[in-house]
Amino acid sequence: MSHNAVVIGGNRIPFAKAGGPYAEASNHDLLTAALDGLVARFGLAGTRVGEVAGGAVLKHPKDFNLTREVVLSSALSPATPACDLQQACGTGLETTIYIANKIALGQIDVGISAGVDSASDAPITVSDGLKRALLRANRARSAAERAKALAGIRPRHLAPQAPGVAEPRTGLSMGEHQALTTERWGIGRTEQDELAAASHHHLAAAWDDGFFDDLVTPYLGVAKDAILRPDTSVEKLAKLKPAFGGPQGTMTAGNSTALSDGAATALLASEEWARENGMPVLARFVDAEVAAVDHPGGDDLLLGPVAATGRLLARQGLTPNDFALIEIHEAFASTVLATLKAWEDEDYCRGLGLDGAIGTLDRARLNVAGSSLAAGHPFAATGARIFPTLAKLLHERGPGSKGLISMCAAGGQGVVAILEAV
Amino acid sequence: MSALEKAFTSKPGKAIAAKAGLKDPPRLRRGRTWPEGAIVLAEIGDGSLARRTLTLLGRSVESPVVDDGGEPTPGYGARIGALVVDVTGLTTIPQLEELRAVLRPAVKGIERAGRIVIVAHPSAGDWEQRSVARALDGINRTIGKELRGGATTTLLHVAQEATPGDLVSTLGFVLQGRSAFVDGQAWTVAAAEQPAETLQERPLEDRVVVVTGAARGIGAAIARTLARDGARIVAVDIPPAGEALAQVANEVGGTALQLDITAADAGAAIAAHVARSGRPLYAVVHNAGITRDKMLANTDASRWASVLDVNLAAQMRINEVLLDPATEGGLADGGRLVGIASTSGLAGNKGQTNYAASKAGVAGLVEAMAPDLAERSVTVNAVAPGFIETEMTGRIPFVQREIFRRSNSLSQGGRPEDVAETIGYLLDPRSQGVTGQVIRVCGQNLVGA
Amino acid sequence: MSTVTLDAMPGMGAAFARALVPSRAKDARVPAHEVRVPGHRQDVARLADYCRVTGFTLRDAVPPTWIHVLAFPLHVHLLGDADASVRLAGAVHVSNAMTLHRPVSLTERLDLAVTAGNVRAHRRGALVDLSATAQADGETVWSGVSTYLASGMRAPGTPDDSPHPPFAPVTPHARWRLGSTLGRDYRRVSGDPNPIHTSRLAAKGFGFSRPIIHGMWTHARALAALEQRLPAVYSVEVDFAKPVALPGTVGFHAADAGGGWDAAVTSRDGTKPHLLMRVRP
Repeated sequence: MSHNAVVIGGNRIPFAKAGGPYAEASNHDLLTAALDGLVARFGLAGTRVGEVAGGAVLKHPKDFNLTREVVLSSALSPATPACDLQQACGTGLETTIYIANKIALGQIDVGISAGVDSASDAPITVSDGLKRALLRANRARSAAERAKALAGIRPRHLAPQAPGVAEPRTGLSMGEHQALTTERWGIGRTEQDELAAASHHHLAAAWDDGFFDDLVTPYLGVAKDAILRPDTSVEKLAKLKPAFGGPQGTMTAGNSTALSDGAATALLASEEWARENGMPVLARFVDAEVAAVDHPGGDDLLLGPVAATGRLLARQGLTPNDFALIEIHEAFASTVLATLKAWEDEDYCRGLGLDGAIGTLDRARLNVAGSSLAAGHPFAATGARIFPTLAKLLHERGPGSKGLISMCAAGGQGVVAILEAV
Repeated sequence: MSALEKAFTSKPGKAIAAKAGLKDPPRLRRGRTWPEGAIVLAEIGDGSLARRTLTLLGRSVESPVVDDGGEPTPGYGARIGALVVDVTGLTTIPQLEELRAVLRPAVKGIERAGRIVIVAHPSAGDWEQRSVARALDGINRTIGKELRGGATTTLLHVAQEATPGDLVSTLGFVLQGRSAFVDGQAWTVAAAEQPAETLQERPLEDRVVVVTGAARGIGAAIARTLARDGARIVAVDIPPAGEALAQVANEVGGTALQLDITAADAGAAIAAHVARSGRPLYAVVHNAGITRDKMLANTDASRWASVLDVNLAAQMRINEVLLDPATEGGLADGGRLVGIASTSGLAGNKGQTNYAASKAGVAGLVEAMAPDLAERSVTVNAVAPGFIETEMTGRIPFVQREIFRRSNSLSQGGRPEDVAETIGYLLDPRSQGVTGQVIRVCGQNLVGA
Repeated sequence: MSTVTLDAMPGMGAAFARALVPSRAKDARVPAHEVRVPGHRQDVARLADYCRVTGFTLRDAVPPTWIHVLAFPLHVHLLGDADASVRLAGAVHVSNAMTLHRPVSLTERLDLAVTAGNVRAHRRGALVDLSATAQADGETVWSGVSTYLASGMRAPGTPDDSPHPPFAPVTPHARWRLGSTLGRDYRRVSGDPNPIHTSRLAAKGFGFSRPIIHGMWTHARALAALEQRLPAVYSVEVDFAKPVALPGTVGFHAADAGGGWDAAVTSRDGTKPHLLMRVRP
């Protein structure tokens, strides 16, 4: 019944700024490219995989079965089943946990997790007013009734609606929420810019080392992450104007993630299946936890992962020092910094129901190959980007090395997971 | 297409071209196809190796028509598909007349894309014997230039001790359409104690073969052809070519390895990739190559270095790692190494000193490695493509390209699969006796040896 | 043969307007020259739109029918020539054959060239072949031939009267619902302004009760339905048996043909063919 779920590897396409080189590509196109690259890397053409779990945050209604449709466009066997999951920015990690759990339970031997988002191809929907009027007209029994229903349409109903970027219950955008957190936790401008610069420099170094040669496949002529600025610096970032938190705000376009397009996949299997099929075994999936905060009640929207981390570490009997590497998703530089401060805050942690502070992180272990500030953040893809990246990094450090992934998500949620190198 | 090119390929242009001696090139026979007409076997002296090999191949043979001086000159009724002449017993100058007497009716009566194959022993013996052996070479090259309609000729030097099992893959390749663009060439088949088995449909079944530069052109054709023959392909190319590479890998059911072959750890990366599959590495086809053409007067150090590194030094470094018995995922005993030389390397080509150096270097490398690796039953060979229609040759200006394309006995450019098929032949497990050879796939290009 | 080289892709509106004027000539004539556009840069946005309308996934390797779309304005331009008596508007697209010689990347610049020729007799008029090639760096990467029937026109020779092999009914395993706006959608991505595909009035003028979808849409849609089952390089031939009226519902059936595919777009019950397709590696 219990199997070791292991990470074999991953593949993504280079990420790019929304409206950039992938402006015309759909979620379907992006994810097919990422999946076909994974299939090629591991020789899975024509193979029936146990299940593919994928998802997108911004999704067209016609894409209700997005991942299955992608499988049918890919080189995998058409007999491969698939499902769509969605947990906001945690999607790519949640799909990975879903696949890992199925493997651990012996329900499947091998599975693929995935995430994709295109901020360029975000669905534009009609207003509720228009939709209701059309439905009434459709139900109408007579021409007069239909005319009456259609007469209820007002010009304001006809304006297209972009996907919601604001939290439905607070009306605040994610950046505005984070600005509140940034101020509450006293996160300064310089430390944010330092974190952003480090993200770019780490990602650039990893590219230069060829680290991504077996994690990324080019798409539409783009061979490298297009948002990456290897030559950025704290000085350059310091010149940018605040984007959130008013004129005195510390959050800028440079220390916040850009709207991005991209797709990522990860290949997981039982350790037995991986060995029998001559696949690399990078790391073992250990455990995961999901948590949420009461942001409508005033909690910090993006600090959901703190409670998840505390509970997960307590369950596993681990402290931050037990981890060789830690990946904290860089939604904003200040999210990472506030998360680390919260870890150290006795009162905050007790308020979450934990026994005490989680502890202090050695910053040299944080996001060592760069993260979302430099790579970009196609919402649902990010978890599926981080998972195989961390697995490879841990594998390089040797068996037993542990790693933690912490991802914040809309709705005040947090998803965290632990990997251990094999 | 430039205006000039159009003039040649347009109807009036073709009429002019025909007058100028440029006819529509003959259609070549390709793939695992046999000649349509009869295979005629002639034996000069008492050798029987060719006969026994043809029996092993399951081909029935007919007797030759001999030009005995009668009038009119005797000929074949229907066109013949091939003439195989076993001259393993030919040792004297007067016996060359016997060869002429069977060749004359054959070259007249051979079908389009037919084959003439001369099976001889390597040069050895007294002065006359060695002179005669060399005479065969002159005959072979000349027939190649005289044959029409896509027919080709080949001279095989087969070791005294060789058996039909040793010759079967070679004679099969030469007679089949797989050798379409190999013409006027001669190479050696050594004795290798191969079992007396006929040709296999999928000789590379489940064998792991690494192909570098596999994303496009000749490399992609090699991957496809070897996969057709059963190989499990590891398709290697530089990371920026990853999307095309993935497409090729998925098409052939292989794996894609994005890798810069000039990286210091390239050999180790290939070995690690292979080791994980749990299967031994059977063959490496070093196909990746670049050109940085300039006249020598304008060739700087960087143009020089990049071409020599990618085309020659990189494969030496990779071979070194893969041939180390301590390397997990390294080349298995009985394995195959194939390099890609070039007629430019063998004959020289204006503006390509760096390229010619690297490609001639590949030829030298396989000749040097072959004897050293014989003990491990690893064969090392190279193919030397002539004008092959690819993206790379497409960049040559039209006039020059048309001259190159037509400057061979088959009056046309080869196709990437012609190179691939020749590599498939060298990789055949039964081709164990073929090592240290450079086989030109050039339609008997007019330049060079 | 002479060559007319254009700096850029010609527009099709004016040429089509000319093509709508009935030709009084009875003898089918086509220009003897070639028209070419060198270094055509492919537009990713338009390709993405094309893929959405026809059902392809947007990839680096472009569909062969896309290259036909790129070359099509040159055919229109060529037949707009004073030497031409055959009018593209009103001519019936009866068959198409194309070969993808190697995968073509959307980042490649293509030299596109077209010719017209092979005018021959047909029992209902004259047949003419419009040929096109696409080259990248001098290498021919794609070639295609579209055969049109110019009804009522004359051409030398005797018609080939060999009967079509009868169509064996199939059980469709897919049903496509073609909306009334499909003609406009495909016009947008193909640039083909022939009003027979978008206007009921124009369609009536040519004897159809409703607009009909472009044959090349049906062709592309059928290839897209096979998608990753297609080899990397292949030849595909289609016969356009009967136009599909918009809006409408059709059936699709495909069968493995030893490395290639035999497919048909049919009436929804599978008894009558609209398009017959053969894909061979």
